[in-house]
Amino acid sequence: MKRKTAWNGIIFFVLCILVVVFLAPILFVFMNSFKGRLYISNAPFALPTEKTFAGLTNYINGVEKTNFFSAFGWSAFITVFSVLAILLFTSMAAYYLTRVNNRFTSGLYYMFVFSMIVPFQMVMFTMSKLANICRLNNPPGMVLLYLGFGAGLAVFMFCGFIKSIPLEIEEAAMIDGCNPLQTFFRVVVPILKPTAITVAILNAMWIWNDYLLPYLVIGLSTPYKTIPVAVQYLIGSYGAKDMGAMMALLVMSVVPIIVFYLVCQKYIIEGVVAGAVKG
Amino acid sequence: MQKTLKKYFPIFVLPTLVAFAFAFILPFVMGVYLSFCKFKTITNAQFVGLENYVKIFADRDFLNAFWFTIRFSVLSILTINIFAFMLALALTRKIKGTNLFRTVFFMPNLIGGIVLGYIWQQMLNAVLMKYETTLVANATYGFWGLVILMNWQMIGYMMIIYIAGLQNVPTDLLEAAQIDGATGWQALTRVKIPLVMPSITICLFLTVSNSFKLFDQNLALTAGAPGKRTAMLALDIYNTFYGRMGYEGVGQAKALLFFIVVAAIALTQLAVTRRKEVET
Amino acid sequence: MKKRLVSTILCAVMTMSLFAGCGRKSENGETPQNAAQNTQTPQENVNQGNNQNTAKGQVYYLSFKPEVDKVWKELAQQYTNETGVPVKVVTAASGTYEQTLMSEIANTEAPTLFQVNGPTGYQSWKEYCADLKDTELYDWLLDKSIAITGEDGGVYAIPYVVEGYGIIYNNAIMDEYFALDGAKASSMEEIKNFKTLKAVVEDMQSKKDDLGIEGVFASTSLTPGEDWRWQTHLANVPIAYEYKDKGVTNLDTLDFTYAENFKNIFDLYIHNSCTAPGLLGNKSVDDSMAEFALGQVAMVQNGNWAWSQIADMEGNTVTEEDVRFLPIYTGIKGEEGQGLCVGTENFFCINSQASPENQAASIAFLEWLFSSDTGKAAVTNDLGLIAPFSTFSETEKPNDPLAKEVLKDMADESTTSVPWHFTSFPSIRFKDNFGAALLEYASGSKTWEQVKKQVITDWAAEKAAVAQ
Repeated sequence: MKRKTAWNGIIFFVLCILVVVFLAPILFVFMNSFKGRLYISNAPFALPTEKTFAGLTNYINGVEKTNFFSAFGWSAFITVFSVLAILLFTSMAAYYLTRVNNRFTSGLYYMFVFSMIVPFQMVMFTMSKLANICRLNNPPGMVLLYLGFGAGLAVFMFCGFIKSIPLEIEEAAMIDGCNPLQTFFRVVVPILKPTAITVAILNAMWIWNDYLLPYLVIGLSTPYKTIPVAVQYLIGSYGAKDMGAMMALLVMSVVPIIVFYLVCQKYIIEGVVAGAVKG
Repeated sequence: MQKTLKKYFPIFVLPTLVAFAFAFILPFVMGVYLSFCKFKTITNAQFVGLENYVKIFADRDFLNAFWFTIRFSVLSILTINIFAFMLALALTRKIKGTNLFRTVFFMPNLIGGIVLGYIWQQMLNAVLMKYETTLVANATYGFWGLVILMNWQMIGYMMIIYIAGLQNVPTDLLEAAQIDGATGWQALTRVKIPLVMPSITICLFLTVSNSFKLFDQNLALTAGAPGKRTAMLALDIYNTFYGRMGYEGVGQAKALLFFIVVAAIALTQLAVTRRKEVET
Repeated sequence: MKKRLVSTILCAVMTMSLFAGCGRKSENGETPQNAAQNTQTPQENVNQGNNQNTAKGQVYYLSFKPEVDKVWKELAQQYTNETGVPVKVVTAASGTYEQTLMSEIANTEAPTLFQVNGPTGYQSWKEYCADLKDTELYDWLLDKSIAITGEDGGVYAIPYVVEGYGIIYNNAIMDEYFALDGAKASSMEEIKNFKTLKAVVEDMQSKKDDLGIEGVFASTSLTPGEDWRWQTHLANVPIAYEYKDKGVTNLDTLDFTYAENFKNIFDLYIHNSCTAPGLLGNKSVDDSMAEFALGQVAMVQNGNWAWSQIADMEGNTVTEEDVRFLPIYTGIKGEEGQGLCVGTENFFCINSQASPENQAASIAFLEWLFSSDTGKAAVTNDLGLIAPFSTFSETEKPNDPLAKEVLKDMADESTTSVPWHFTSFPSIRFKDNFGAALLEYASGSKTWEQVKKQVITDWAAEKAAVAQ
């Protein structure tokens, strides 16, 4: 027993050091965002002093230069509506695919699974050009594209779960006179909640942080930039010019995520585990 | 029941199917066809057979990206999984503050690729400044920078999965092993690891595909600098499409090859590890 | 509990989506006061696809200079106010013009007005360049030989600015140096070749504390995307001499005969500055101009377009009288008669695949820009361009000291300007690779021999690749 506590003590100490190491990059950026822009590159690890403290100037500059609040709004709009669309439509599709057994549904199921392995680069050029031709280069268009591209994983997970739901409950509902839609929404959906949360979280994480798809479809020429696109536009080239704004921008991009994480931590971690196990 | 359900096909399946066809099936099929063509816009393409594929193997940058990606992936897969597993072992030991540790280690995973890449670019440049050099001065710095970044981002995620797997190991098996006189190390290798195989399968699958397909972080951290020597496959494909006129067909061909490689590796890995899984 | 969570999230989302509305107006070239007048325009600009003003056409200009993005957007707004023709201005991020243009040109709403950098750029974009031979704009061009023509005699790209670059120096600091004991020269007139320049610079660097500066040269910015001053501008000097020797304006294979001379001046830049050579991969052009403007260094290589970066720097200590140009000496025989490097790299093209109305609208916009009072004032004062058109009178040339120096150099009979031959460099990729090699050379991971070899092989390879 004594040996175990001694080991535990050492492990605890190591873990504490790791915590500092893990948080370091974020603290680094946070600290530098409060220094004047000309003082950052010379002494990046120094704490802000009287002379170098810049208050909120960097934040104001960052917001102005990238239209941050607008980008935030668009990211929010696209993420939320895409997730809702995915939850609604893919659960229904998965239900149908699981309950109706014919060659068509199995074929469709395998196509969905197949799409999970295909890297984005394979379809990025053709998809973005198609989207442009069909005038989908706006937020609702993005929702459609995310629904299509995210369908693979979502259908796979929902199917996996629905398979394990006993048919008796649904058959009972049918006997009571429900049509399939009613059966689905009244009986199946409540049971689906845990999987739905997992699907929602995994997709939200991916869509909020996605860069390439919004860049290619919405790009620079429409007013609908999302946060990753705005960050890349400012920092990808301008960045060296205003280090202060860059640091502030990075902090602003990270803070909503951290807040969301701390609030929904339990669901997120559970969702991630469930997602992985099903895979 | 099936009969009634079938009538509802349009409502249940059609929306998803339409979006899926538009966002995936159509672009995929077009992509395959176009990889054998020379084209600028998708509507005017000329079939050129295998010409694009031949050009790929003469492309120095592509071969460099290919090797870089392989070296990077192998190294990352090993380090991430080993560290994550060690951390999972540590956090299943009933130490104080396990929840806090778990929260902190997982957090980096939520931060987006582009933002993550820039945060680390600043950190690494700040550190390298002490040695009077910069991240883009040497391809080796870019390589290790990416490895460090990848580890930071993925260790927490894998750790959580391993923790779940470890928690599922029946304690009576461990007790039995202890009674039989097994040392800690033997308990680990003979009991825990085989029973945690499903988690290992998943973690390997996730790290393999994430490492191979890495793009956002690559773009942000170095954008391939110096020259194109720290560009990974995904970035190389992107550069081929948008970096030079007349090479879109080659880009599409590269993408198809990329897909085949990723699929082959992922499927092989799944097959191998699944076979090793033990039923509890 | 779950229901409340869901409804709070929905409320939060709806509030957050409201943010999407803010700032949308200023995305499209509107200043706050114009927003009130033009309540139509945001809607129009958002529904780009649905409202094609078929009668008037519309303009979409893809600009390559982030520094003047605001100026162009204001100009566009003024034009729209006057004529009612919508003008959309999008600026590509620094160093990404070619990529962005490639991506945008294939869209249904492609740019109607864009730029190429010269004959090489034109080769890539031939299919998208409309013939401008019959436009008034071409008519106004002072020197018609610099326009880019096709084999059929059509005019496909019109240069819109003449610029010059060299070594910008701070005369006040130089005078301070000349007053010191043991100075290697007594005035700027004595510096007429590389040997003298090197002696002076190295001496200044050793006495930098006495002079109150941190180095003689500003940082040689080698961050990818910020290295164009070296892989393009500086490279132009040795290559122009090689062209001259061979009597050509283009080469399929380069011998890089004057590689040593490039090394001469490059070494001088990186070893006598305020930044250690290994750290140059982090420096941007902006950093260099700031160092010069704040009086931390005495010299910086750049062109007359950089004046606004010097003048607008908060806390700048350099005055207009003290800003002068020195030719870039590299040690080549006969360089005493060398002037600044003057030429153009900015050619306007009209998208030949856009609708006829849009093409006409774009040409009209350009002609307004270079002939109307508002346009000319903006071009001369806000953009600081020396425009090579007959519509500009003698008094309508930029007033800033650097532009004046360039004009002076062009008029000076005793020196020959070095022409801009980098418009014939094989490709952007060639230049980027060259910059990367210079970065590795500066950080010590490549020898100069390796750099030279790479330049020669890359030049031939890229010339071949583009020719396909």
